[in-house]
Amino acid sequence: MSLATLSPPARVLVTKIGLDGHDRGSRIVAAFLRDAGMEVIYTPPWQSIPAVVKLAMEEDVDVIGISSLATDHLIVPKLTDALRAAGLGHVGVVVGGIVPEDERAVLIDAGVHAIFGPGSARDEIIQHVALLAAKVRETKDAELAEIAQ
Amino acid sequence: MSKEAVQLSLPGFEQAHGRWRAEYGRQIGTDRVIRNRSQIEIKPLYTPRDWNGESFLDDLGFPGQFPYTRGIYPTMHRGRTWTQRQLIGLGTPEDYNKRVRVILDAGATAISLLPCNSGFRGVDCDEVDPVLLGTCGTVINTTDHMDRALDGVPLGNISTAMNDPSPFTLLAFTLAVAKRRGIPWTSITGTSNQSDYISHFIANHMFYRLSLAGARRVLLDHIEFCRKHVPGWNPVSVVGQHMQQAGATPVETMAFTLSTALQYAQDCIDRGMDIDVVLRRFTFFFDISISFFEEVAKFRAGRRIWARLARERLGAKDPGSWRFKFHGQTSGVDLTEQQPLNNVARVAVQAMAGIMSGLQSLHTDAYDEAITTPTEETARIAVATQNILREEAHLCDVIDPLGGSYYVETLTDQMESEIEVLIGKIDAAGGMYKAAESGLVQSMIGTSALAFQERVERGEEKIIGVNCYQNDSGPSLSRATERPALDRMTDHVARFQAYKEARSQDDVRRALDALARAANSERENVYERIVEAAEAGITHGEIVSCLRKELGFGHPLVVV
Amino acid sequence: MHDDLVDRLTAGDPSALARCISLMERGGAAADRIYRRVCPRVGGATVIGFTGAPGAGKSTLIDAYIAALRVRGASVAVAAVDPSSPISGGAVLGDRARMWRHAEDPGVFIRSVASHGHLGGLSESMHRIVDVMDVAGRDFIIIETVGAGQSEVEVVEIADVCVVVNAPNMGDEVQAMKAGILEIADVLVVNKSDLPLAQRTTKQLTNMLELRRENRDVPVVETVALTETGIDALHDAITRRLAAGAGDKQKRRERRMRRLIADRAGRIVRDLVGDADGGDLADLVHAAASGEIGIDAAARRALKAVL
Repeated sequence: MSLATLSPPARVLVTKIGLDGHDRGSRIVAAFLRDAGMEVIYTPPWQSIPAVVKLAMEEDVDVIGISSLATDHLIVPKLTDALRAAGLGHVGVVVGGIVPEDERAVLIDAGVHAIFGPGSARDEIIQHVALLAAKVRETKDAELAEIAQ
Repeated sequence: MSKEAVQLSLPGFEQAHGRWRAEYGRQIGTDRVIRNRSQIEIKPLYTPRDWNGESFLDDLGFPGQFPYTRGIYPTMHRGRTWTQRQLIGLGTPEDYNKRVRVILDAGATAISLLPCNSGFRGVDCDEVDPVLLGTCGTVINTTDHMDRALDGVPLGNISTAMNDPSPFTLLAFTLAVAKRRGIPWTSITGTSNQSDYISHFIANHMFYRLSLAGARRVLLDHIEFCRKHVPGWNPVSVVGQHMQQAGATPVETMAFTLSTALQYAQDCIDRGMDIDVVLRRFTFFFDISISFFEEVAKFRAGRRIWARLARERLGAKDPGSWRFKFHGQTSGVDLTEQQPLNNVARVAVQAMAGIMSGLQSLHTDAYDEAITTPTEETARIAVATQNILREEAHLCDVIDPLGGSYYVETLTDQMESEIEVLIGKIDAAGGMYKAAESGLVQSMIGTSALAFQERVERGEEKIIGVNCYQNDSGPSLSRATERPALDRMTDHVARFQAYKEARSQDDVRRALDALARAANSERENVYERIVEAAEAGITHGEIVSCLRKELGFGHPLVVV
Repeated sequence: MHDDLVDRLTAGDPSALARCISLMERGGAAADRIYRRVCPRVGGATVIGFTGAPGAGKSTLIDAYIAALRVRGASVAVAAVDPSSPISGGAVLGDRARMWRHAEDPGVFIRSVASHGHLGGLSESMHRIVDVMDVAGRDFIIIETVGAGQSEVEVVEIADVCVVVNAPNMGDEVQAMKAGILEIADVLVVNKSDLPLAQRTTKQLTNMLELRRENRDVPVVETVALTETGIDALHDAITRRLAAGAGDKQKRRERRMRRLIADRAGRIVRDLVGDADGGDLADLVHAAASGEIGIDAAARRALKAVL
């Protein structure tokens, strides 16, 4: 992995909203991201949307990774709406898991940056998350430079 | 039970063997070291040198005879074919009823019930965004719901597998329905398929609702209640499926599952229960992966080890207690989203492994199971697969057909050794309950899962359509299908809310107080109060919430 | 413009607090400027450190304790520390997930902090993070660390009360740790006290305390975090210890400042001596290498040379 790591490291939330409770995939991704030098805030499944928004704000996360099975993806737009309403629209959101093809456009329109299906390679996920985090950091740094003179 | 190479007095053996080795070496080019999922090295050829059956009676014996390696019954599938039991669960109780009637009409005598994820979560349908309801299971929160779900189902004549973890409210609702219909509880048969709270804590957090200690208490009360009032019911199903799906190797899975069974058995003994009465009602539930021979060896080894553990370590005297009864489900984890029709072949191979291992009941996944709940068509193919294996491939005509194979017997022995080493490790950690509580098992499984994933990433572990033979133009399964109609679900929720309001709040409070009191008293049977609460119209969410408060909320240990 | 951020911080805006914490973690000139503005206002919060080996049920206990604080109307901030991987520099921060009860309560601000390989266990920025939480108006600040041994040294500097959480059946490795832990504990907790061996653990700890004169007043509180038993007793014990140690807060801060200054001075000197090119230093190095002078004498001469 040759992508320069951010300093301080990228902060990524890996979580599940909705009802599905299978977390093998999200645990493996959390381990990959940690091994790639990122700080991963990991939660068990069944997080409520308000809890995720509060967490994203307090932890100043750069990227949120939602692991989704069953119909959990149907409520991801509700999450992105809530993030924007809380002034966290700049935070990157990616979804991993099983999302029917005909329902992906809705997620992209809602602001989801990428959807990773079950066959996604580890390096692909890491690269994408790292790049996304770097972009989000740039935005945040610019804002901080303004207000923290 | 490792077998040393035996010097055989077969004239010419050594010479012929040597000749084969030389020719093999010349033609194979670069040979690779091949290991199965349990990391046991697999040779290109097995001969009487590896296994020669000289301890046939001790290690294999005959079907229905200790140590049952070849099968727990004398007739096995030739006598009675395995129970075909397909998982069903979708939508509202009425949706479930429609599907179950179709299955019963087709002659099935065994059904299963898979509740909605909201139920697993321990909440009622009105506590969740309706768009999430009923997509993976049926929403059943009360005795009335169960009554509608089982409308026209002859409860006394069929066997039900309840995929319901502690505190087993679904069985409670069913018993309440049976009482309404005048069906004696003594004729209710089936299994609490997800009673293995330790495996949930370790590897399937979706089913983990009460604290470890709370779940332990409820399980023991459940076992005693069933023994007394529902003697045809199997309250304990020790589950290997979740751990294997979470990434445990087949050896680890069998070792941890047997250790869990030992833990539950010991807990029952500590409570003063008769071990023979208890073990007779123990069943096991495993995943069958596509590592064909490894699965067969895993189950044969498991059968042999369990027989010895039950008889020698637990001191059970009744041969019925030594029999390793298990249900196998083809592993959804081996199925892929890419090129989904390939999964039909995968399921067939997994099912073959299960059948040849001598399982007692089998569930075959539909080819789209990785993505969605099966449609009627995909479910039909899953059942047809089993019928084809039985009727056309004649897999049932011979008992333990792979017995005597130099490879399979050697592998069975090897896996047995490894399994026993791991059981020893769990013993050293104080038993499975403590090992799970400390996170030891979780980190071992996590390591195996990560290692497997890395082999897939490197291309060492090949998955057709995923890291080789990819084909982007194939039909995609990623369609949104088989979801309950949202308006029907919201109607169901509205009706449920009205039902709750119409109840006598005094009755509700009384039943919940009794439940809370029982939970706090060591001498009362909590499960008895759960059944009473079900009869009094208390909801699933209310029961779980009360028990979580009194016995502790189940927070799984997260080990990354 | 930065008044805006600091103003929002002191007004209690949680997103300003989050940003300031990130700034402190990053370090740099802007962080230093903001920190200096914040310093005069530090001191209103009560800082409680919770430490103890994994498996003792620390997070569950903290979760229950926070509930008790909330019931009493106090606002809380939590800094949950997890170790960074020494190989990748990354970390999995999973403690906050265990404080699930407060996941939606704006009165409980939770921040996960990676140790960043800092030798003391807690990252250097932790001191600043706690101060910033203080200035944000939080009544109680809870620091959760893994009882790995080294981080305890720093928790003592920052916390007004150190709570060390034990559990029965934790094995002999814990015995070795116990000696060090008794040095810093203001309150000892025996969690999972419903387990059969709990009384024995309580006795063990009480006996060990008896042997140490300076620890005679340390209470041992039994709790069952899962069912919230003993939490009120825990709060009482903490409150009593706070009252007994009142007035030390300022002294403790100054002690910490002194150590930070000494550490920083050491780093400055280390860099100077390490980077110095001059002939004087080369001679010194030769002399030390050949044994002409000792390392200590060489160091003192180097100091004189570079400053």
